Amino acid sequence: MDYVILSLVLLAIGIYGLLTKRDLLKVFVSVELIATAATMNFVMLVPSLGKGLGEAFLVLAFATDTCVSGVILALLVIVHKKYGTSDIGDLVKIEENKKEDEVEA
Amino acid sequence: MILELLSVGLVISACLAIFLDEAVYSVAALAGTFFLTSILYALSGSVFAAVFQFAVGAGTLAILFLSGEMLSETPAKVPQKTLLSLVAVGVLLSLPAIFLSVSGQATVFYGIAFEEALWDLRAIDVVLQGFVIMTVALGIVIILHEKRKGGK
Repeated sequence: MDYVILSLVLLAIGIYGLLTKRDLLKVFVSVELIATAATMNFVMLVPSLGKGLGEAFLVLAFATDTCVSGVILALLVIVHKKYGTSDIGDLVKIEENKKEDEVEA
Repeated sequence: MILELLSVGLVISACLAIFLDEAVYSVAALAGTFFLTSILYALSGSVFAAVFQFAVGAGTLAILFLSGEMLSETPAKVPQKTLLSLVAVGVLLSLPAIFLSVSGQATVFYGIAFEEALWDLRAIDVVLQGFVIMTVALGIVIILHEKRKGGK
Protein backbone atom coordinates (compact mmCIF):
# COMPACT_ATOMS: atom_id res chain seq x y z
CA MET A 1 0.00 0.00 0.00
CA ASP A 2 1.25 3.47 -0.85
CA TYR A 3 0.47 6.31 1.57
CA VAL A 4 1.50 8.97 -0.94
CA ILE A 5 -1.31 7.92 -3.28
CA LEU A 6 -3.74 7.67 -0.34
CA SER A 7 -2.76 11.19 0.67
CA LEU A 8 -3.18 12.40 -2.93
CA VAL A 9 -6.65 10.83 -3.14
CA LEU A 10 -7.69 12.59 0.10
CA LEU A 11 -6.22 15.85 -1.23
CA ALA A 12 -8.16 15.46 -4.49
CA ILE A 13 -11.44 14.81 -2.63
CA GLY A 14 -10.79 17.87 -0.43
CA ILE A 15 -9.99 20.15 -3.37
CA TYR A 16 -13.07 18.90 -5.24
CA GLY A 17 -15.22 19.76 -2.22
CA LEU A 18 -13.56 23.14 -1.85
CA LEU A 19 -14.29 24.02 -5.48
CA THR A 20 -17.81 22.66 -5.84
CA LYS A 21 -19.55 22.99 -2.48
CA ARG A 22 -21.28 26.27 -1.64
CA ASP A 23 -21.98 25.71 2.05
CA LEU A 24 -19.39 27.16 4.44
CA LEU A 25 -19.55 24.07 6.67
CA LYS A 26 -18.73 21.87 3.67
CA VAL A 27 -15.87 24.20 2.79
CA PHE A 28 -14.59 23.72 6.32
CA VAL A 29 -14.88 19.92 6.01
CA SER A 30 -12.93 20.13 2.73
CA VAL A 31 -10.19 22.18 4.41
CA GLU A 32 -10.00 19.58 7.18
CA LEU A 33 -9.60 16.79 4.62
CA ILE A 34 -6.83 18.71 2.85
CA ALA A 35 -5.08 19.24 6.19
CA THR A 36 -5.42 15.52 7.01
CA ALA A 37 -3.91 14.64 3.63
CA ALA A 38 -1.00 17.01 4.25
CA THR A 39 -0.30 15.84 7.79
CA MET A 40 -0.43 12.20 6.69
CA ASN A 41 2.76 12.82 4.71
CA PHE A 42 4.61 13.88 7.88
CA VAL A 43 3.84 10.52 9.48
CA MET A 44 4.13 8.23 6.50
CA LEU A 45 7.19 9.80 4.87
CA VAL A 46 9.23 9.84 8.08
CA PRO A 47 11.84 7.32 6.91
CA SER A 48 13.66 10.08 5.08
CA LEU A 49 13.33 12.59 7.97
CA GLY A 50 13.73 10.44 11.04
CA LYS A 51 10.64 9.30 12.93
CA GLY A 52 10.91 11.77 15.81
CA LEU A 53 11.41 14.76 13.54
CA GLY A 54 8.44 13.76 11.38
CA GLU A 55 6.18 13.62 14.41
CA ALA A 56 7.57 16.94 15.71
CA PHE A 57 6.64 18.56 12.39
CA LEU A 58 3.23 16.91 12.65
CA VAL A 59 2.58 18.62 16.00
CA LEU A 60 3.38 22.00 14.43
CA ALA A 61 1.10 21.19 11.48
CA PHE A 62 -1.72 20.33 13.91
CA ALA A 63 -1.24 23.67 15.67
CA THR A 64 -1.64 25.52 12.37
CA ASP A 65 -4.63 23.37 11.47
CA THR A 66 -6.30 24.16 14.80
CA CYS A 67 -5.81 27.92 14.24
CA VAL A 68 -7.35 27.67 10.77
CA SER A 69 -10.28 25.66 12.16
CA GLY A 70 -10.91 28.24 14.90
CA VAL A 71 -10.92 31.18 12.49
CA ILE A 72 -13.20 29.43 9.97
CA LEU A 73 -15.67 28.40 12.68
CA ALA A 74 -15.76 31.94 14.12
CA LEU A 75 -16.44 33.30 10.62
CA LEU A 76 -19.11 30.66 10.06
CA VAL A 77 -20.96 31.60 13.25
CA ILE A 78 -20.72 35.35 12.57
CA VAL A 79 -21.82 35.04 8.94
CA HIS A 80 -24.76 32.81 9.87
CA LYS A 81 -25.87 35.17 12.63
CA LYS A 82 -25.57 38.24 10.40
CA TYR A 83 -27.07 36.92 7.17
CA GLY A 84 -29.09 33.90 8.30
CA THR A 85 -27.42 31.62 5.77
CA SER A 86 -24.07 29.93 5.29
CA ASP A 87 -24.40 29.43 1.54
CA ILE A 88 -21.66 31.32 -0.32
CA GLY A 89 -23.89 31.97 -3.35
CA ASP A 90 -26.63 33.49 -1.19
CA LEU A 91 -24.07 35.63 0.64
CA VAL A 92 -22.76 37.04 -2.66
CA LYS A 93 -26.32 37.81 -3.79
CA ILE A 94 -27.15 39.53 -0.49
CA GLU A 95 -24.03 41.70 -0.73
CA GLU A 96 -24.79 42.58 -4.38
CA ASN A 97 -28.35 43.57 -3.52
CA LYS A 98 -27.05 45.66 -0.62
CA LYS A 99 -24.65 47.52 -2.93
CA GLU A 100 -27.40 48.11 -5.52
CA ASP A 101 -29.66 49.53 -2.81
CA GLU A 102 -26.88 51.84 -1.66
CA VAL A 103 -26.28 53.07 -5.24
CA GLU A 104 -30.01 53.70 -5.77
CA ALA A 105 -30.24 55.57 -2.47
CA MET B 1 -4.45 -6.44 5.09
CA ILE B 2 -5.88 -4.38 7.94
CA LEU B 3 -4.05 -1.26 6.72
CA GLU B 4 -5.63 -1.69 3.28
CA LEU B 5 -9.09 -2.05 4.82
CA LEU B 6 -8.48 1.06 6.93
CA SER B 7 -7.42 3.05 3.88
CA VAL B 8 -10.56 1.95 1.98
CA GLY B 9 -12.67 3.03 4.97
CA LEU B 10 -10.78 6.31 5.13
CA VAL B 11 -11.49 7.19 1.50
CA ILE B 12 -15.14 6.10 1.80
CA SER B 13 -15.70 8.27 4.87
CA ALA B 14 -13.94 11.21 3.16
CA CYS B 15 -16.27 10.82 0.17
CA LEU B 16 -19.30 10.68 2.46
CA ALA B 17 -18.09 13.78 4.34
CA ILE B 18 -17.95 15.77 1.11
CA PHE B 19 -20.92 14.43 -0.83
CA LEU B 20 -23.61 13.97 1.85
CA ASP B 21 -25.86 17.03 1.81
CA GLU B 22 -26.87 17.20 5.47
CA ALA B 23 -24.32 18.90 7.71
CA VAL B 24 -24.73 16.52 10.64
CA TYR B 25 -24.18 13.39 8.51
CA SER B 26 -21.23 15.07 6.85
CA VAL B 27 -19.64 15.82 10.22
CA ALA B 28 -20.30 12.24 11.37
CA ALA B 29 -18.47 10.97 8.27
CA LEU B 30 -15.61 13.38 9.02
CA ALA B 31 -15.45 11.89 12.51
CA GLY B 32 -14.98 8.50 10.87
CA THR B 33 -12.17 9.93 8.74
CA PHE B 34 -10.35 11.29 11.81
CA PHE B 35 -10.84 8.06 13.75
CA LEU B 36 -9.56 5.85 10.93
CA THR B 37 -6.59 8.17 10.33
CA SER B 38 -5.73 7.92 14.00
CA ILE B 39 -5.85 4.09 13.92
CA LEU B 40 -3.75 4.10 10.72
CA TYR B 41 -1.08 6.20 12.45
CA ALA B 42 -1.11 3.96 15.53
CA LEU B 43 -0.73 0.79 13.46
CA SER B 44 2.12 2.39 11.51
CA GLY B 45 4.04 2.85 14.76
CA SER B 46 3.47 6.60 15.20
CA VAL B 47 1.71 6.57 18.55
CA PHE B 48 2.28 10.29 19.28
CA ALA B 49 0.81 11.21 15.91
CA ALA B 50 -2.20 8.98 16.58
CA VAL B 51 -2.83 10.56 19.98
CA PHE B 52 -2.54 14.11 18.59
CA GLN B 53 -4.78 13.28 15.64
CA PHE B 54 -7.38 11.81 17.99
CA ALA B 55 -7.25 14.79 20.37
CA VAL B 56 -7.41 17.45 17.65
CA GLY B 57 -10.11 15.50 15.81
CA ALA B 58 -12.23 15.13 18.95
CA GLY B 59 -12.03 18.88 19.68
CA THR B 60 -12.82 19.90 16.13
CA LEU B 61 -15.71 17.47 15.84
CA ALA B 62 -17.31 18.57 19.10
CA ILE B 63 -17.47 22.15 17.80
CA LEU B 64 -18.51 21.02 14.33
CA PHE B 65 -21.39 18.95 15.70
CA LEU B 66 -22.60 21.95 17.66
CA SER B 67 -22.29 24.20 14.60
CA GLY B 68 -23.95 21.61 12.37
CA GLU B 69 -26.85 21.23 14.80
CA MET B 70 -27.14 24.99 15.25
CA LEU B 71 -26.90 26.03 11.63
CA SER B 72 -28.77 23.31 9.76
CA GLU B 73 -32.36 22.17 9.58
CA THR B 74 -33.55 18.76 10.77
CA PRO B 75 -31.56 16.26 8.68
CA ALA B 76 -33.46 14.31 6.07
CA LYS B 77 -32.88 10.59 5.63
CA VAL B 78 -30.17 9.77 3.11
CA PRO B 79 -31.46 7.59 0.23
CA GLN B 80 -30.00 4.06 0.26
CA LYS B 81 -29.03 4.34 -3.43
CA THR B 82 -27.00 7.52 -2.85
CA LEU B 83 -25.22 5.96 0.11
CA LEU B 84 -24.32 2.81 -1.81
CA SER B 85 -23.07 4.79 -4.80
CA LEU B 86 -20.90 6.95 -2.53
CA VAL B 87 -19.43 3.83 -0.91
CA ALA B 88 -18.72 2.40 -4.37
CA VAL B 89 -17.00 5.64 -5.41
CA GLY B 90 -14.93 5.53 -2.22
CA VAL B 91 -13.85 1.92 -2.87
CA LEU B 92 -12.90 2.78 -6.46
CA LEU B 93 -10.90 5.83 -5.37
CA SER B 94 -9.00 3.84 -2.76
CA LEU B 95 -7.87 1.13 -5.22
CA PRO B 96 -4.88 3.12 -6.60
CA ALA B 97 -3.50 3.57 -3.08
CA ILE B 98 -3.67 -0.19 -2.50
CA PHE B 99 -2.37 -1.51 -5.81
CA LEU B 100 -0.05 1.23 -7.13
CA SER B 101 3.20 2.55 -5.73
CA VAL B 102 5.06 5.77 -6.49
CA SER B 103 7.35 6.03 -3.46
CA GLY B 104 10.24 3.59 -3.36
CA GLN B 105 11.18 1.53 -0.33
CA ALA B 106 13.09 3.74 2.06
CA THR B 107 15.08 2.59 5.03
CA VAL B 108 13.53 3.58 8.34
CA PHE B 109 15.70 6.00 10.30
CA TYR B 110 14.90 5.99 14.00
CA GLY B 111 17.95 8.06 14.96
CA ILE B 112 16.14 10.73 16.96
CA ALA B 113 13.43 10.53 19.61
CA PHE B 114 10.22 12.55 19.41
CA GLU B 115 10.94 14.61 22.53
CA GLU B 116 14.48 15.31 21.38
CA ALA B 117 13.28 16.40 17.92
CA LEU B 118 10.56 18.58 19.43
CA TRP B 119 12.59 20.41 22.06
CA ASP B 120 16.16 20.31 20.73
CA LEU B 121 15.49 20.95 17.06
CA ARG B 122 12.11 22.71 16.91
CA ALA B 123 11.92 24.46 20.32
CA ILE B 124 11.59 27.99 18.88
CA ASP B 125 8.89 26.78 16.47
CA VAL B 126 6.95 25.16 19.30
CA VAL B 127 7.05 28.27 21.49
CA LEU B 128 6.11 30.56 18.59
CA GLN B 129 3.24 28.26 17.63
CA GLY B 130 2.03 28.51 21.20
CA PHE B 131 1.97 32.30 20.88
CA VAL B 132 0.18 32.06 17.53
CA ILE B 133 -2.51 29.77 18.98
CA MET B 134 -2.96 32.06 21.98
CA THR B 135 -3.26 35.13 19.71
CA VAL B 136 -5.77 33.39 17.44
CA ALA B 137 -7.82 32.24 20.44
CA LEU B 138 -7.87 35.79 21.85
CA GLY B 139 -8.76 37.16 18.40
CA ILE B 140 -11.69 34.77 18.08
CA VAL B 141 -12.94 35.69 21.57
CA ILE B 142 -12.70 39.41 20.70
CA ILE B 143 -14.47 38.93 17.35
CA LEU B 144 -17.32 36.99 18.95
CA HIS B 145 -17.52 39.40 21.90
CA GLU B 146 -17.63 42.47 19.63
CA LYS B 147 -20.35 40.81 17.57
CA ARG B 148 -22.33 40.07 20.72
CA LYS B 149 -21.95 43.63 21.96
CA GLY B 150 -22.97 44.97 18.55
CA GLY B 151 -26.04 42.73 18.48
CA LYS B 152 -27.34 44.12 21.79
